[in-house]
Amino acid sequence: MAAKQAAATAPRRKGMSKELRENLIAYSFIAPNFIGFCVFTLVPVVAAFVLAFMEWDGVNAAKFVGLANFTRMFGDPNFKAAFWHTIVYVIGTVPATIICALALAILLNQKIKGRNFFRTVSFFPYVASLVAVAAVWNMLFNPSMGPVNQLLSSWGVENLPKWAAGKDTAMLTVILFSVWKNMGYYMVIFLAGLQGTNPELYEAASLDGANKWQQFWNVTLPQLAPTTFFVTIMVVIQSFKVYNEVYMITQGGPGTSTLVLVYQIYNEAFVGTPEYGYASALSMVLFLLVLAVTIIQFKAGEDKDKPKKKHVK
Amino acid sequence: MKKIASGLMACTLAATMLVGCGSSSSSTPASTAGSASNGSTEEEINLKWALWDIDATAYYQPLIDAYTAEHPNVNIEMVDLGSTDYQTVLATQLSGGADDLDIITVKDIPGYSNLVNLGMLEPLNDWNTTDTSLYGGLVEQITVDDTYYALPFRQDFWVVFYNKDLFDKAGVAYPTNDMTLEEYDALARQVTSGEGADKVYGCHYHTWRSAVQLFGILDGEHTIVDGNYDFLKPYYELILAEQNDGICQDYATLKTSNIHYSGVFYNNQVAMENMGSWFIATQIEMVKSGESQATNWGIVKYPHPEGVEAGTTLGTITSLGINSKSSNKEAAADFVNFVCGEEGAKVMASTGSFPAIMNDEVVNTIASMDGFPQDENSKEALYTVKTYLEMPMHEKSADIETVLNQAHDNIMTENCTIDEGIQAMNEGVQALLG
Amino acid sequence: MVTTKKSSIVGKVIIYALLILLAFTMLVPFVWMLSASLKLNKDVFAFPMKWIPETFHWENYKTIWTKIPMATFVLNTFKLTIIVTFLQVLTSSFAAYAFSKLRFKGRNILFLGYIGTIAVPWQAYMVPQFMMMREFHLNNTHLAIICLQAFSAFGVFLMKQFYEGIPDELCEAARIDGLSEYGIYRRVMLPLSLPAISTLVIFTFVTTWNDFLGPLIYLNSTDLKTIQLGLRMFITQYSSDYNLIMAASVVSLIPVLIVFLALQKYFVQGVASSGLKG
Repeated sequence: MAAKQAAATAPRRKGMSKELRENLIAYSFIAPNFIGFCVFTLVPVVAAFVLAFMEWDGVNAAKFVGLANFTRMFGDPNFKAAFWHTIVYVIGTVPATIICALALAILLNQKIKGRNFFRTVSFFPYVASLVAVAAVWNMLFNPSMGPVNQLLSSWGVENLPKWAAGKDTAMLTVILFSVWKNMGYYMVIFLAGLQGTNPELYEAASLDGANKWQQFWNVTLPQLAPTTFFVTIMVVIQSFKVYNEVYMITQGGPGTSTLVLVYQIYNEAFVGTPEYGYASALSMVLFLLVLAVTIIQFKAGEDKDKPKKKHVK
Repeated sequence: MKKIASGLMACTLAATMLVGCGSSSSSTPASTAGSASNGSTEEEINLKWALWDIDATAYYQPLIDAYTAEHPNVNIEMVDLGSTDYQTVLATQLSGGADDLDIITVKDIPGYSNLVNLGMLEPLNDWNTTDTSLYGGLVEQITVDDTYYALPFRQDFWVVFYNKDLFDKAGVAYPTNDMTLEEYDALARQVTSGEGADKVYGCHYHTWRSAVQLFGILDGEHTIVDGNYDFLKPYYELILAEQNDGICQDYATLKTSNIHYSGVFYNNQVAMENMGSWFIATQIEMVKSGESQATNWGIVKYPHPEGVEAGTTLGTITSLGINSKSSNKEAAADFVNFVCGEEGAKVMASTGSFPAIMNDEVVNTIASMDGFPQDENSKEALYTVKTYLEMPMHEKSADIETVLNQAHDNIMTENCTIDEGIQAMNEGVQALLG
Repeated sequence: MVTTKKSSIVGKVIIYALLILLAFTMLVPFVWMLSASLKLNKDVFAFPMKWIPETFHWENYKTIWTKIPMATFVLNTFKLTIIVTFLQVLTSSFAAYAFSKLRFKGRNILFLGYIGTIAVPWQAYMVPQFMMMREFHLNNTHLAIICLQAFSAFGVFLMKQFYEGIPDELCEAARIDGLSEYGIYRRVMLPLSLPAISTLVIFTFVTTWNDFLGPLIYLNSTDLKTIQLGLRMFITQYSSDYNLIMAASVVSLIPVLIVFLALQKYFVQGVASSGLKG
């Protein structure tokens, strides 16, 4: 990683003042963004964490309750449902989204006719009106008259799935929808990442007799590592935080079969008597969950980094 | 250093929340109620009124105009918080006990019960100058421990809209103002016809829980916050049977396809539709604009279970309350009294909306609106004998509603049996009631 | 080269078939929007669906400008989006340089802090944030939205990852040439990260343009509102004009597409490696 190489060069520049100067230069780069970020995001986030240990209705004085908000979760059937649904959603969405986005990006990085058109079109579901996107999806997967079920029944499938209206298929519907809607977004990131790859390496590889698959595996992927890392972390975080997709397709239903954590957080904070304390505690669980996964990814990323970097050079 | 600074700020913020808002207003109704009615002091007063849908609502501006004509020193500013997310935005605006808003429009009973629980609404018993008996029992339904925190100014009640042409075509007699549920069901089955694009459904229930469940409370023996929902079973059976027989459109399709109740009525796809009286004004307007093809229509009273008096129905109210932190309570109360009182009722009726205070004059005004169905039954349908609120006042009403909605969703999509769904309601709500 | 001509033609056909199928599914929502925007409201969700309206109601595209102050909303949205995008790209590409190419105390902790906040759902800290902004007297101002959107962790993370892909040797060489760190950022990094900057511009533009919850909470006066809030004005308590919503959505999609198409030209391979040679 860059840090380590920088570390290696550091001793060459001697003297404390030099190190201080370097620190100051670095801070000056960070400051414009960081100060704004601190004041407008970090402070409220920290305040929300403080609230996790309190009981607060938004209006009257907050009361310190220790860990009560956390112990409450163990007896809360909604939390249990939301927790597991979120995990299922993450497992279902993350690999599919990454693979589809990457495949799409590689496809649209070839020299093909109408490339700009296809690129733009892939981005459509992400930017088009949420209402329209959800309406089309629900129409395609309409249990009684939708084309998907008509196709299935023409293939002789009995017991047609009820998709968004079925207890067992609702989550699958939401997952499929999310992958379809978001892959264009991550495709753009991969596409940008692919522009940074060095074409000469491909020539070298093909001269070595590597086939397309080997080229992808040994040349493209290592060069894309920082991008893949970014996409993976973002997809993981965004999947843990899923709300819109659920709201648009099932509103958490039928019953509680697609209730996810952020949906529950919203309900606790804004539906019924506001329970910001409990909502914050739930957010903290979500935060810790994501943080754990992210740190694992960071570690894995660092380990993988070394051999791959070597390969590139 | 930055870390310390941001830590400090977070602490300050947390401290603000810990203390809440200390600056509660000191004016009390007891000391000033006497002078409230003559608000004609020369002093300039500014009031902020939280509401939704300014442009789409006919009566806000006329109400303000009528009031400020008498009180030129009062300036009323409307703050539109949007209808879909009204409760969320209102909660945020009022966080920390803010005094920015003086008059708060209360959208529904769960919202009302939240505001009351939070102490955001001023008790109105001492401010109110209108005889509460004029409201036909509505005020009693929002009274908690002998105190009410809002006054209704608008009400809506459920009726049956029907399409006369479709009944004529099927050769079936029109629905009447006194239908038991069984008669209504039989009628719906008779008038259902066609297949595919020509399909006409006999009746229509929007995806709201109230459209199905609340037949059960019309006998006055049960409420929706009881904690025991066994009494709902026959009504679910009735409507699921209609759904399975193709008498009404199925819930899953309606829900997933976002089908709005108005479109199916306009397109002559349903013969009868149970809906609130708010739809009258919209339907009239849409017939005029040509968008609604159901031009020959009427309304009758809501169907009722055997043994219940005709004219018993469900209702919703829209009310006004005063922010308990407001520094202009006296002026706010005067305005609330005007809007919710008889003068406001006249203004409301003249815009085609049902005021909370109903009488012959109001019914006549609305029934004589251009475009209102001309038959006697339709006018007669505007008289109700008893209106039960869709959701009665209860401390936990919002949470109860969530449980009931989830179970309703499961029953109507047939993801569980009626018995399982009712059991889920019983268990869920009893857990809430403790 | 290795592959024969025949198999490459088959491959091409498969690729195009796949792409066209994909483009089709991706375009369906847009076609639905267009179709809905030309219908009467009652027919928008009518089942079975008619893709081509019986009569074309072009007047919907006129109505949206008169029924709500759409022009004001468009202007407000442009103003907010341009300012936010500018600030976001500038500050995060700046900060990202330090995170990826400089070594300093607390780097990893600071960075983890940045990413950590992305993991916290906005719904959880929306209320404390609103109370703080109200203390600053920023509620009901455009400045509130700018402050909230312009300094996101997302931008810093995105730019950092792209800078990682630019070889450190380039920076070293520039340092030896006597360029200051600011000079390296300006002369070396910025020109090499055009695809990344384009990506960030697109994303920030789309996010700010389509943001709904932020303006909903912070902007109450009609003359401050944005397009997304304007769209909600067609959804009232008792009726929703989906045909008008779709007409306005189609209109509001145009700038987003223009930005996307205009920045396409920076998605060109080998920008970074061409720098290597020079």
